[in-house]
Amino acid sequence: MSPTARKALIYLAIAVTAFVFVLPLWWAIASSFRPNDAMFADLFPFTPRALLPEPFTVEAYVAIFERGFGSIIANTLIVAGLTTALGLVVNALAGYAFALFEFPGKSAVLGVVVVSFMLPFEAIAMPLYSVVSQLGWIDHVAALVVPSVANGLAVFLFYQFFQQVPKDYYEAARLEGAGWLRILWSVYVPLSLPTCISAGLMLFIFQWEAFLWPLLAMPAQQFKVIQVGMAAFQDQYTTAWNQLFGAAVITALIPMLLLIPLQRYYVQGLAGSGIKG
Amino acid sequence: MNRSPVALLVLTLAPALLGLAIFRAYPIGLALYESLYTTIAGERTFVGLENYVGLLTDSGFWKSLRVTLWFNLIINPLQVALALALALMFVQKLPGMAVFRLMFLIPIGISLPVAVIIWRIVLLPEGFLNGALGAIGLGPYRFLTSPDFALYSIIAIATWKGISYWMIFLVGGLQNIPQEINEAARLEGASAWQRLWLVTLPLLRPTLLFVLVADITINFLLFAPVFMLTGGGPRGSTNVLMYEAYKSGFVFGDMGRAMAIVVCLVAMLLVIVAIQFRLLSSAPAREGK
Repeated sequence: MSPTARKALIYLAIAVTAFVFVLPLWWAIASSFRPNDAMFADLFPFTPRALLPEPFTVEAYVAIFERGFGSIIANTLIVAGLTTALGLVVNALAGYAFALFEFPGKSAVLGVVVVSFMLPFEAIAMPLYSVVSQLGWIDHVAALVVPSVANGLAVFLFYQFFQQVPKDYYEAARLEGAGWLRILWSVYVPLSLPTCISAGLMLFIFQWEAFLWPLLAMPAQQFKVIQVGMAAFQDQYTTAWNQLFGAAVITALIPMLLLIPLQRYYVQGLAGSGIKG
Repeated sequence: MNRSPVALLVLTLAPALLGLAIFRAYPIGLALYESLYTTIAGERTFVGLENYVGLLTDSGFWKSLRVTLWFNLIINPLQVALALALALMFVQKLPGMAVFRLMFLIPIGISLPVAVIIWRIVLLPEGFLNGALGAIGLGPYRFLTSPDFALYSIIAIATWKGISYWMIFLVGGLQNIPQEINEAARLEGASAWQRLWLVTLPLLRPTLLFVLVADITINFLLFAPVFMLTGGGPRGSTNVLMYEAYKSGFVFGDMGRAMAIVVCLVAMLLVIVAIQFRLLSSAPAREGK
């Protein structure tokens, strides 16, 4: 095979893969703009018109918000925002301590922190229910926020970054009489903005995508977050296909709005989790 | 502001370490503890290892374990292989690649429940996939309600959602392989296929291993698709252990059995993480980083 033919073949394979990959999503977006009774039109027999939003209507989106999806979005933004803000402070402080101070047992403690993020949250969700009910937090927003604030991966990302900052900066600031909090705030934090974004995105997306834990921790479902809200929506309006698609599209859209401009930082954060303790 | 280092250490470390201790470590201990108890009519009684012994003689548990293992045996190699294929495409330098790269990345921004909802409608008997298959004279199939198809449909959904994420790690690994090595192999007359098997894959081994193990830990604990789509059915064909534990504890109120299952799952996972550390620390060190 000539190099050109080979290139063309690779190109074709990539294009077909990419197209097939996004096809279900495309159909979902297009169909969310159709009236419900036209959802499956153009499929039997199959015509490419099935991939177009026609007849075009936004009735699905109007109906979703009339059914309270707006407050579900607001709830999730509150939970994810609080977790991100608290998580950045708590985990950056710990990363700072690990990077700057020596103390007995440091490497062992750091090892435990690393192992803690290797074990997914799902593994401990059910026993965590017992912990949180001992604290009396079942059906309280605290149950969603507080357990997710301390995050081993975020600690590790900050530790890694702060370690690379030359110690001279710290020493110089010390000599000028600055306290540790001031040094952290005015020397380390401004330098670590990319790490703050990586860790913040991670904490935010984690909460946005949480499903099992909010399902267990909020049995009364007075305060619904988005993934569970969407699943409940699916049970309740089984055949409102266009609305289900609309809810799915909105749920996917919000993290995408953050991820697309900040994808570099997100990937850096992921790469951090791939670094072997 | 001149605190002693000890006070300073406590102040900075305490919030994160306490959080990890209470909400990560303690639940593991609590699961062990509660798996030794049984709750009958709100009365908690110590029963020792009875919950575990019960599992051993419980055909429901064994069937669920078989489903979990079969599911993982298929989905993990499949996801890693497809993620690798995507990564190899992702790093190609061809015109228009920026658009394709973006398309490859899209499922990362989609949560598993969103993927489930989209695919649930795509897979309906009257849905998109059956429509497209009908155009070539196949189907319609009951992808989600037939015991022959349901588990594989869940595998397809989780794979579609998951592989972009794993692709990112593999792209990172591929980019760490020095260009000169591949170039040298090419000059020696190695074909593209030989270069993949003899140069790229051996150098990518640590990354592949990490992705495989991380993927296994995710898929061992897969829950949302089973909960949202099949409820473990039809006829138990998708009843993975994570869902079996959930049903035990939160539907039938048998927390002891639920915790015993969770302990078994976490034990299996810790073994996997331990193997990961063992294998990765003996692997040749990666260049750069």
